[in-house]
Formats: sequence, C-alpha cells, structure tokens
Amino acid sequence: MVREFEGKTEQEAIAKAMEELQLVQEDIDIEVVDTGKRSLFKKGNVKIRVHVRQQKEEKKKEEETSFDEDFEEKIVEFLSTLLLKMGYPGTVEINFRRNGKIGLNIVSEHSAIIIGKKGKNLDAIQLIVNVYAGQLLSHVKVVVDSENYRMRHEEFIVRLAYKTAQNVKKNGKSQLLEPMNPFERRLIHTALNDIDGIETKSEGDGLFKQVRILVDDTLPPLRQ
Amino acid sequence: MEKDLVEYIAKSLVDSPDEVEVNVIEGEQSTILELKVAPNDVGKVIGKQGRIANAVRVILNASAAKGNKHIQLEILD
Repeated sequence: MVREFEGKTEQEAIAKAMEELQLVQEDIDIEVVDTGKRSLFKKGNVKIRVHVRQQKEEKKKEEETSFDEDFEEKIVEFLSTLLLKMGYPGTVEINFRRNGKIGLNIVSEHSAIIIGKKGKNLDAIQLIVNVYAGQLLSHVKVVVDSENYRMRHEEFIVRLAYKTAQNVKKNGKSQLLEPMNPFERRLIHTALNDIDGIETKSEGDGLFKQVRILVDDTLPPLRQ
Repeated sequence: MEKDLVEYIAKSLVDSPDEVEVNVIEGEQSTILELKVAPNDVGKVIGKQGRIANAVRVILNASAAKGNKHIQLEILD
C-alpha cells in the first residue's frame, strides 16, 4: 500500500501518516517526494510517500492488549469522578489499548483547565490515575489525554528541537532548553540523533533535566 | 468541595480508606487542608520524593482556580 502525506516539516508529515494509518514508524518506509524548498519567500509543504509493509499489519494486531472489562470500567469511573469532584465534569472514553497501555480521552468543556499550563494538570491527573490503576493491575500504564494534547505537544517538542538545532548550527553557540520530563527529553535526543554536526546532552538532577543542544565538532569517521 | 476532592483521592490510594480524615482550616485568604491517614498509608499519599503529594496539590490548585482562595495541603504523620 502506498499513500502520500503532506506537512510543514518532514516530521509533521510522518506524524500525520502514523496517526492516520495507526502504525509506528518501524512499519512504514518513508520516501520524501518533495522537500518543500520551493522559493525563498514561499515555504512549500514537504510531501512524503509512505509504503506500508503488509506483513507487519498482522503483527500490530497481536500487540493490541485487551484488559479486563471490570478494570476498564473502574478506571474510567475513577477518572470521571475525579473530574467531577474537581468541578470540571466531562466524559471519559477509551482511546486505545496497546502494548500494555490504555489510553483515556477526556471530553469536557473545561479541557483547557484540565490540561493546564504545559500540560501540568493533565500530567498530575495521569499520575494519580496510574497509581490507582497500579493497585488494580500491575504492569499497566494509563495515558490520559484531552483534545489530542499529547500528540500536539509531541509535535511541538520535535519542531522546537529542529528549530533550536538550526540556530545552534548557525551561531555555533550551544543552547539550553527548559526543564523537561524524561519522555520529552527522549523525543529531543531521538529527533536530533540523525542530524550531523549536532549533539545533545542532558544536564541537571532529578526527574526534570534540561537538554543542551550543541555543535558536535568531532569529525565523523572516514570511510575507507 | 476541595475537602471532598482530597478525601476521594486519598481514599482511592490507601489500604485503609476508613482511616482517611481531612480537616479544613479556613483562613481569610487561604484554606489549609490537613490530611490524616493510617500510619501504614502515609507513604502511599506522599509517594517517592513527594510525587503523589505534589500531583494532588496540582489537582487541588486546578480545582481551586475557580475561587479566589489559596489552598494548601498538609499531610500529617
């Protein structure tokens, strides 16, 4: 199967493709059709062509985890009661069940405050729901989302990584990003891993470390 | 209202929900909530490096954002 996707950046196009096809990057081959460098003033979109590996589609189905109905009911109930007691009622639906994770989606008119600044409230809610879920069932991870915030935030972080890396390359000066959690930091490290001449390092202590993006001046090994 | 919220979260996390107690101390500009749980459960509401306690505080503050009062959570042991 071959499909085409467009986005402002290559990353965005890939993210779009993965979301729509419900596949992870390992399951698809990506070919950049149009890099979007059309002219100085007009920024064209990047167009990519995605080749889906057929055999992998069956594998993906196996990875779908099913949970006890009772368990699902309990965490949905817990989260909706929590929201109600917070004074921001909403409905909770199950987004996905995959690789031992269960995704919950909050639909509420109060989603702005439920998410909070930089997702602070959503993260706190997610932590409490995970502690609660951990009592019922071990080795389960609950992802709490609203208004597709998690995915939008991921895109934002990756875009920030590229933008900062470009600046660092241009000025030769390293830049320190604001404190981030391990998941966010990993997004930055992996996004910039393939970029030549750029290096990333984590600085600081505790859960929230800062990523420094710097010029990597060690020469790549010569090919012989 | 906020008392209810803390009570609900604490009761969901501890082994002895019957021993969860929340006292409200109303001040002029702020409200202090004192959370009391069974000795064995103190760790459950605080968490590693206070992660759970802090998450409860964040949730509490989000909930209290409607009013104009500061809310403080204290865990008694």
